[in-house]
Amino acid sequence: MRSFAVLLLKEETALFSSPIAYVLMTVFLLIMGYSFTLTLFLSHQPSMVHVFFQMFVLFMLTSPLITMRLLAEERKLRTLEVLLTAPVSEIAIVLSKYVASMSLIVIMLALSGCYAAALAWFGDPDFGPIYSGYLGLLLFGSALVGTGLLASALTANQVIAALISLSVFLLLWIIDNFGWLLPSPADTLVVNLSLSVHFRPFAVGSIYLSDVGFFLSVTLLTLLLTARALARR
Amino acid sequence: MSAVVLAQHVTKWYGPRRAVTDVSFAIEPGEIVGLLGPNGSGKSTIFRMLTGYLVPTSGRIEVAGHDVVADSLAVRRAISYVPEDAPLYEHMRVGEFLHFMAGLKGLRGAAARAAVAAAAERLDLTRVMMLSTGKLSRGFRQRVSIAQALLGDPKVLVLDEPTSGLDPHQVIAVRDLIQSLAERHTVLIASHILPEIEKIASRVMILLDGTLLTVDALKEPAGDLVMQLAVAGSEEAVRRAVTAVAGVRRIAADPDGSSRYLVEAERRPSIAAELVAALVAAGIAVSELTERRRTLEDVFLELTRGPARVAA
Repeated sequence: MRSFAVLLLKEETALFSSPIAYVLMTVFLLIMGYSFTLTLFLSHQPSMVHVFFQMFVLFMLTSPLITMRLLAEERKLRTLEVLLTAPVSEIAIVLSKYVASMSLIVIMLALSGCYAAALAWFGDPDFGPIYSGYLGLLLFGSALVGTGLLASALTANQVIAALISLSVFLLLWIIDNFGWLLPSPADTLVVNLSLSVHFRPFAVGSIYLSDVGFFLSVTLLTLLLTARALARR
Repeated sequence: MSAVVLAQHVTKWYGPRRAVTDVSFAIEPGEIVGLLGPNGSGKSTIFRMLTGYLVPTSGRIEVAGHDVVADSLAVRRAISYVPEDAPLYEHMRVGEFLHFMAGLKGLRGAAARAAVAAAAERLDLTRVMMLSTGKLSRGFRQRVSIAQALLGDPKVLVLDEPTSGLDPHQVIAVRDLIQSLAERHTVLIASHILPEIEKIASRVMILLDGTLLTVDALKEPAGDLVMQLAVAGSEEAVRRAVTAVAGVRRIAADPDGSSRYLVEAERRPSIAAELVAALVAAGIAVSELTERRRTLEDVFLELTRGPARVAA
């Protein structure tokens, strides 16, 4: 546990001492601010449903930038050798990187709370879909970080790690469109791999255990596979 | 005394390529053991398996009584590793990096500060503690890497090419440091530089193409005797007299000087006396006949290329 705290501090310092965290937060807020304002003035509805869908896409595009360096950079600079020959478990190394990345996701979500605050100040929004939307984005972000971490464990090249993550995310984003064309029961199986199918209910105010379970399962599976990839050298 | 490092029939495959083949050795506490071999011979692979970074494909390795695969964390508590080229976190300052490594090794608070201060003092790093590791010279990077390895007082220190790329003063400083470490630690050091290993190690293992040729090169049975001969006489007469002696295999002009020769002969007690007698009988004055000391280089060449041969 103490080693985990030491590793987490190192990861947080590395993340927040690099410009990428601040650039990401700035770009995220600019794009979401524009999207929120535009949607509000066009629809005149105190709702964040559209904003959540925009965040869903933006997270898919930007999370590989957070995760790509996590292990690929350590492998390239050979600091992974220093880390993995120290008396710390692979799980602690993986979890520290996961938690540090999630902290950036949480900060981005917290900053976007200013849009919800604006709606609450000037209107009377239904907070149910807002809470569920944030829960969905948190779980979705967690699955993205886990998958990105696994991609980063597979290569020493950050760009390749980012491309692997992005390809997987884009495939799982649109896979339900192909899934519907398949015969039963393959259609159900493939459609249920879709990220958008599992995220959509959160954005509109419904929380299903199956969707929560899906994102948590992806997170756990990818974190375990990452630890396994580090342990089996 | 029980071995602090024990490797039994260790083999490592990287996909279709075999990097280490059936390597077995034991290291006793307090030894400074050198692992000598050309680049790509498998030294780093063996070290990475000893330190738990790589898993052997087959065979068994124990460090301080713990299996490196089944009890990897216990092994990593007992062993510290200085990888080749001293990889460091470039965004950290030297002090920050050493405190980070102390934390990973379970040191906290005052104990961590004391361990970091002692390691920094020992490696003469106190004046660079606030500098970023990315701005350090190669010599300082190497010293920081060795300093982190000393934290936590490990039983075994594994150093991969610790003097590579250092200037002569730094090489001497690192060599002295390694020798002083043997008082408290067992040291395993890899190098492809023969004289360096010869000066530091109390025992030398030689590795070639992943195969361990000897676990104690300096105790390898001696091959043929090589003698340096200084005489006054024509080369033709000298060669004729020397080759007439039974057991002489070759004679060659010594590149170190004129009228000097290297003679390779069967190793038996009377060979030197017979040589002198033959030369004197041929009217050639002998001013010097000495056995050339068998260096690590000779042993290395004997083991890696077959019996040593005097250049013709």
